[in-house]
Amino acid sequence: MTSVGSETNPAASGPAALHRWLSWRSACVFGRAMRRPVLALGAAMAIFAALMLVKGVNPFAAYRDMFISTFTTTTSLGGIAVRATPLILAGLAVAVPARAGLINVGGEGQLIMGGVAAMGVSLALGGALHGPGALVLMAVAAAAAGALWSGLAALLRLKGGISEAVTTLLLNYIALDFMFFLIYERWKDPQGSGQPATRALDKADRLGLLGGSRVHLGLLIALVAVVVVHLVFQTTSWGFRLRVVGGNPEAARRAGLKVGSLLLTAMLVGGALGGLGGFAQLAGAEFKLRSGFVLGYGYVAYLASWLAGHKPIGVLLSCLLLSGIVIGGDSLQLDSGLPGASVNVLMALLLLGVFGFAKKREAAR
Amino acid sequence: MNIVAEVLTGGIRGGTSILYGALGETVSERAGVVNLGTEGSMLAGALAGYAVAAETGQPWFGVLAGAVAGGLLALVHAYLVLSRGANQLATGLVVLFLGLGLTSLFGVGYVQAIAPTFSPVAIPGLSDIAFIGPVFFEQDPLVYLSYFFVPLLSWLLFRSRWGVLLRASGERSEVLVAHGHRVGPIQYAAVVGGGMLAGLGGVHLSTAYTKAWFENMAVGRGFVAVAVVMFASRRPIRVAGGAYLFGAALALSPALQARGVGINQFALDAAPYVVTLLVLIAFGRRQLRDVPEGLSKVFDAQPTR
Amino acid sequence: MRTRWLIPALAVSLALTAAACGGSSDSGDDAAEGAAATATGPGAGSKKVGFIFVGPKDDYGYNQAAYAGSQAVKKHYPDMEVLTAENVPEDDNATRVMEKMIAEGAKIIFATSYGHLDPGLKVAESHPDVVVVAQGNFIATAIPKNAGTYFGTVYEPVFLAGIAAGKATKSNKLGYVYAFPIPQTIANINAFQLGAASVNPAVQTYVVNTSSWCDPAKQAEAAKSLFAQGIDVITQHQDCTATITKAAEEAGKMVVGYHADASVLAPKGWVAGSEWAWADMYIDIVKTAREGKFTGSPYNGNFRVGYKDGKNPFVQSKFGTMVDAATKKLIEDQKAKISKDGSPFVGPVLAQDGSTMFKSGETPDYAIVEKLNVKFVKGVVGDLPKS
Repeated sequence: MTSVGSETNPAASGPAALHRWLSWRSACVFGRAMRRPVLALGAAMAIFAALMLVKGVNPFAAYRDMFISTFTTTTSLGGIAVRATPLILAGLAVAVPARAGLINVGGEGQLIMGGVAAMGVSLALGGALHGPGALVLMAVAAAAAGALWSGLAALLRLKGGISEAVTTLLLNYIALDFMFFLIYERWKDPQGSGQPATRALDKADRLGLLGGSRVHLGLLIALVAVVVVHLVFQTTSWGFRLRVVGGNPEAARRAGLKVGSLLLTAMLVGGALGGLGGFAQLAGAEFKLRSGFVLGYGYVAYLASWLAGHKPIGVLLSCLLLSGIVIGGDSLQLDSGLPGASVNVLMALLLLGVFGFAKKREAAR
Repeated sequence: MNIVAEVLTGGIRGGTSILYGALGETVSERAGVVNLGTEGSMLAGALAGYAVAAETGQPWFGVLAGAVAGGLLALVHAYLVLSRGANQLATGLVVLFLGLGLTSLFGVGYVQAIAPTFSPVAIPGLSDIAFIGPVFFEQDPLVYLSYFFVPLLSWLLFRSRWGVLLRASGERSEVLVAHGHRVGPIQYAAVVGGGMLAGLGGVHLSTAYTKAWFENMAVGRGFVAVAVVMFASRRPIRVAGGAYLFGAALALSPALQARGVGINQFALDAAPYVVTLLVLIAFGRRQLRDVPEGLSKVFDAQPTR
Repeated sequence: MRTRWLIPALAVSLALTAAACGGSSDSGDDAAEGAAATATGPGAGSKKVGFIFVGPKDDYGYNQAAYAGSQAVKKHYPDMEVLTAENVPEDDNATRVMEKMIAEGAKIIFATSYGHLDPGLKVAESHPDVVVVAQGNFIATAIPKNAGTYFGTVYEPVFLAGIAAGKATKSNKLGYVYAFPIPQTIANINAFQLGAASVNPAVQTYVVNTSSWCDPAKQAEAAKSLFAQGIDVITQHQDCTATITKAAEEAGKMVVGYHADASVLAPKGWVAGSEWAWADMYIDIVKTAREGKFTGSPYNGNFRVGYKDGKNPFVQSKFGTMVDAATKKLIEDQKAKISKDGSPFVGPVLAQDGSTMFKSGETPDYAIVEKLNVKFVKGVVGDLPKS
């Protein structure tokens, strides 16, 4: 565990490398760079194939079915997009603070608080306002609630010196129990079926669907967020300063940067994005708060952001990839008869492969 | 039994799996490695313990197997963190998903298995003590085993040479190196040992507490264990107190309900986390000094002051 | 640093390429099925049927029983492919799994958990040609042409098991561990208490909820709490049933089963129980839909059958050794009476607070029980979680 700050040169950062990759000009360089990750992917798939053999499943058929059914039907692609939508926003919620060197493990809590706030607005409106106006109010409330949740962690860090990794994690549990408390009693739908859930959002208060698919406008919000965060990182002085603080806060302080307010704003922006993710999931896919709402999404988003080196475009891609694996898991189950949760093994092996076989990193943060 | 004794008894019974997980996390964190995969190690222990008990007919073999399974999963974490320099929080989560997936893949055959399990055994003499007896000494053997681990680890960590080395590996590894010690093996031992303890927590869950294996049966208790360690600032005795507090919060709701009193469980469930946050706020600065330096690299990538 | 995000990039681009190349498979399937189908209407001529379960298909309980039903369909229709998916959460993820089954050609979907109704209706709305039937819940609004719910009158065998429990108890205290205060569960608890009270007026039923269909640790603690109150017969409404059954056996208490025959887990303490036999109803639903006759059929509504119809899919499990011949005879007589009356809830039935739940002479059928049974009957000890 050596010191931090040996970040590689900017030329190797996400977008530049993407351009390089797309141009195909430096195919050889690319080939060398890809050797380890491809090896990791191959190793993960090989180990999982061995496990499938142990369970009496033909791995070739299973992989073929998984690939075909996941990537060649619009239903599956739509499923990937739907699942990725809150993940992308929660992934950005990790990536923005990470640029300033902060660790936000609280995507889960920020998603939940976003969903809770959006539902709260809908309940408070009580039908007095419908349509885009209601949706905007819900989105604003969700972003504010997410920012509140992460801002709490930021304040504790700045004023109390308590690690934000610890507090964001604890705040996840509190958010979850808070939501349970509400849907189990206060907000439980009196006309409902008895299970803990709120009433459904009015049809007019849901995000529109794209075409005839299940993909909702939340995806658009997520994509816009990716582009905006990317541009902010690349072109604004705030983005630059975050990076300086993230690289070496002591040097940043000596250079006259307001480190405290930069850390606070990074956390607030991150939390707001997470809250928006909760809004998108509520208004685009779930329509009700119920006990499984965004369960586990925050942790997957953390992994996605980390996998992408906290680069916005990379976050988008890794969220799509991790969602794709989950959708692929449906095929493992439907086509190959493996237990549904075994897809977690494939996901974990892939991530382990990337972490274990990829170039040993300079610092374990 | 009055409700206080009942909730405390339930708190110990239900808190024991959390205690094992939290003790394991304590050892690991003292060596500078956070393991969010504790939940995964607990699941691995729960399945391996139940499966081996069912196959061999001997629950103590299950205990061994559960510890080994929990340790193996932690070994994956140790390798990635210590040998590959990977991000601890991220690999911890990956190990959790790995444990979740592997146990569901291989656990299918054991949901219906009937295994020999641990039942409560009253300790003659001790169990007759008023109030304390029924609470502490009418429990199952794995609870009693955990009673030994708490002082043992406390002594090991703070009084033994081994503990000095281990804590040094988490705090000032360069000093160890200067004195000719190798840091790697110590940290590996701590992480794997921590995983074995978490595995024991899983064994308690499956072979003593619920007497069944069921997919994802830890339902977040591994994460609770991580929170308990924060609450208890990595001290085994306090960890025990924290684990029993969380356990008691879980036991209060059924105890009240069985007396005809309805309660919203979730306000209760959140309480220990809120208390943990408050403890951190109240003693935050003091605790900061107590955090192993290796850990503060994890939790505080960059110091702000 | 540079390589981290390249894997995702590679995979996603592969996916997009594949999507561009392979978009034709959907329409190919449709054409084949269109030619094969002679009947019209939702689900007509379906070659595949999909089942989703909320838990694992071997849980010694609810999901195992539903899975067994799906396998009976497979056996009965060798030409049909039966798709099953376990551990499908009761949220939007269920929509995705059902969509996938439909994409693979299934035109009949069984959404077998109570909370699968919302996603099920969502799927039904976007696929008018697919039949979606949900197990156990109740469609309160207008019923779509291609959807419905089905269930047995679960509280009938539970009432009978209550008689056995009322005879068996020495302490006159029965325990009931349940998951959520849904009408179906409340009806069960009420029936259990009424059945027990019919043979033992002093009996009371203590209730504890776990807020989860299957959390063994919570079940263990709930059982312990009930035993501490002197309960000597325990029963449950949980998806997985092993933990409570074993806890009773270990504590030397008696247990009444639910969902599945778990008597092997409690050779000494097993009293009685109820279990699912879904095969006939599943097969009939599939038959109706395949023939294109779903719309307008009884299944295109909130379909319930009980002893009166002679088709209750929820049947009595075997009795334990402590149930004597006289009690068995009494239970047989009661079963005959329910088959005649159509309900074990024969008025007058008093609620927990002493108010009248069902008037004298009133014999509510399933629809009424499901709507009105939102509080406990007299003799049940415990609060419903407020709403």
